[in-house]
Amino acid sequence: MKGGRTPTPNTPKQGTKTSIKALLTKIIIRVPLVLWTIAVLYPIIWMILGALKSNAEIYASPWGWPETLRFENFAQAWSEYNISTSFFNSLTVTVMGALLTLALAIPTSYAIERVRFRGHTVLYYLYLSAMMIPMVLGWIPLFFLLLEVNLLDSLFGLTLVYAVSQVPFSIFILTGFMSSIPKELEESAAIDGLSPYGTLFRVVMPLSLSGIITVTIMNAIFFWNEYFMALIFLQSSEKYTLGLAMDFLNKEAQYTNAWGTLFAGLTISIIPVIIAYAIFQRRISKGMTEGAVKG
Amino acid sequence: MVQPKSQRIIFLMFCILPTLLLFAVFTIYPLFSGLYYSFFEWSGSASDKEFVGLSHYIQLMNDPIIPRTIIHDYFLVVTKVIGIMILATFFAVALTQLRIKEAPFYRVVFFFPNIMSVVVIGILWAFIYNPNLGFVNAGLEAIGLGQYTQPWLGSERWALPSLVLPSVWAGIGLFMLMLMGGILNVPKSLYEVAKIDGATEWQQFWKVTVPLIWPQIKNSILYIIITTLNGSFIIVQVMTQGGPNNATHVMGSYLYQQAFKQYNFGYAATIGVMILIISLITVMIMQFFLRKEKIQY
Repeated sequence: MKGGRTPTPNTPKQGTKTSIKALLTKIIIRVPLVLWTIAVLYPIIWMILGALKSNAEIYASPWGWPETLRFENFAQAWSEYNISTSFFNSLTVTVMGALLTLALAIPTSYAIERVRFRGHTVLYYLYLSAMMIPMVLGWIPLFFLLLEVNLLDSLFGLTLVYAVSQVPFSIFILTGFMSSIPKELEESAAIDGLSPYGTLFRVVMPLSLSGIITVTIMNAIFFWNEYFMALIFLQSSEKYTLGLAMDFLNKEAQYTNAWGTLFAGLTISIIPVIIAYAIFQRRISKGMTEGAVKG
Repeated sequence: MVQPKSQRIIFLMFCILPTLLLFAVFTIYPLFSGLYYSFFEWSGSASDKEFVGLSHYIQLMNDPIIPRTIIHDYFLVVTKVIGIMILATFFAVALTQLRIKEAPFYRVVFFFPNIMSVVVIGILWAFIYNPNLGFVNAGLEAIGLGQYTQPWLGSERWALPSLVLPSVWAGIGLFMLMLMGGILNVPKSLYEVAKIDGATEWQQFWKVTVPLIWPQIKNSILYIIITTLNGSFIIVQVMTQGGPNNATHVMGSYLYQQAFKQYNFGYAATIGVMILIISLITVMIMQFFLRKEKIQY
């Protein structure tokens, strides 16, 4: 794929012995890097190529290049297999869930980080410990709770569960970002007669915008990809999110051999994340590395 | 801030209460009522809930599948910690300290699987392992190791180890970034001092890099353990559903089967309590073993 990327040493003036050694090191160190690049990209590229093949072709040469590009697999997945419905269900849950998480996490983060009330550390650790606890036990009662309040098999119910599930993580990240806002700004805002609400919405929120964006992207990617809660809390196929639709399509493909359609569906389902990642790549990796430093 | 006390309290309520209320209803209450359910025999309908005391816990002790699920979970924890930490550390060091021009390219590519859903990863890898169409068997044939081909996910012996590769594949990027964050924070001067003292690159790695990024290493290991114990059932559910013949059941997938396939909600809740206890004990033990004084620099 890109094995030919062996740079020539920049300093030919050095003794030949050291430059050969440096060259060798550079080649050797790149071997695992290039191998892992192939290991990551090959299955993904192959999945996209599979989406462009006929079933006969997948059977004949599953790992080869397609002879003709069959875009009808995408059309078939989109309309016949109802990926369109699932796509918009996922989009709804993702956007609503991300917004709701923010509405819940921002005020709480601000209160914990800045309005030093008694018990703010207790509250922080309450949310923090939820990040360590396996939630699978809670999903059984949650199932019946949602059933009782008529939110089972409902996208709104799922959105609510999603948002609450990401509140602890969001608070963890947002308090980190808010702690770096200078206190003086809030004080002068208060002196200027701004209410605490005004301070929160007009001073603190704009200043922690970069943290808010980071958290939102990570939450949105999580909601878009989530599978298990959707499996438990959604039942009718017209409510299915993409994860469920893919799972369903995969099980069907075992019998109908509609592999090309399945790969088209998989490809459609990762396109939005690829776009989001392409746009926010720097911010995501910055958020990850900085979050780790705080550790 | 100068403001009347009541106003401050109202503002605090506004900030804290809605979130706390929803968190209590959708997270805390379900956890405690899960504990409560574990004392009942219940198939899900409102009428037939029956108090059975500790009998589900006795059933748990005698269920031959339970020890297997625990072993499977720990197998995944150990193999993932080893696989991910070795590769992620190597990549993190290589991409920060070895002046590789195209390092940003690798960083972007290696993180890519982390943004893909477990369903897509699971389906993709199930196809890679597919005995007739998949890449693994075809690859073994191609290099003359045809006698080692397997129906990977259909083999009782190989199904569980086969789940490790996709998990490592999907996990590297995140932990690589976390470790890179630590390495970039290590003052360059320490390496210069080490170099002057005649330390080899290998010694620099063990004596400078590892101790200084120990918090990141520790956090990464803990994070892998927690996410594996709390979430390995998702990849299991997508790829094998616990089969063949329970060979890949982990605690969570067994709970799912008991609850939502066989409608033994009480017993499933008991398994949930067990998962909770095992996870918390494991995390505490690991906290103890990984504890090391923070190094000042």
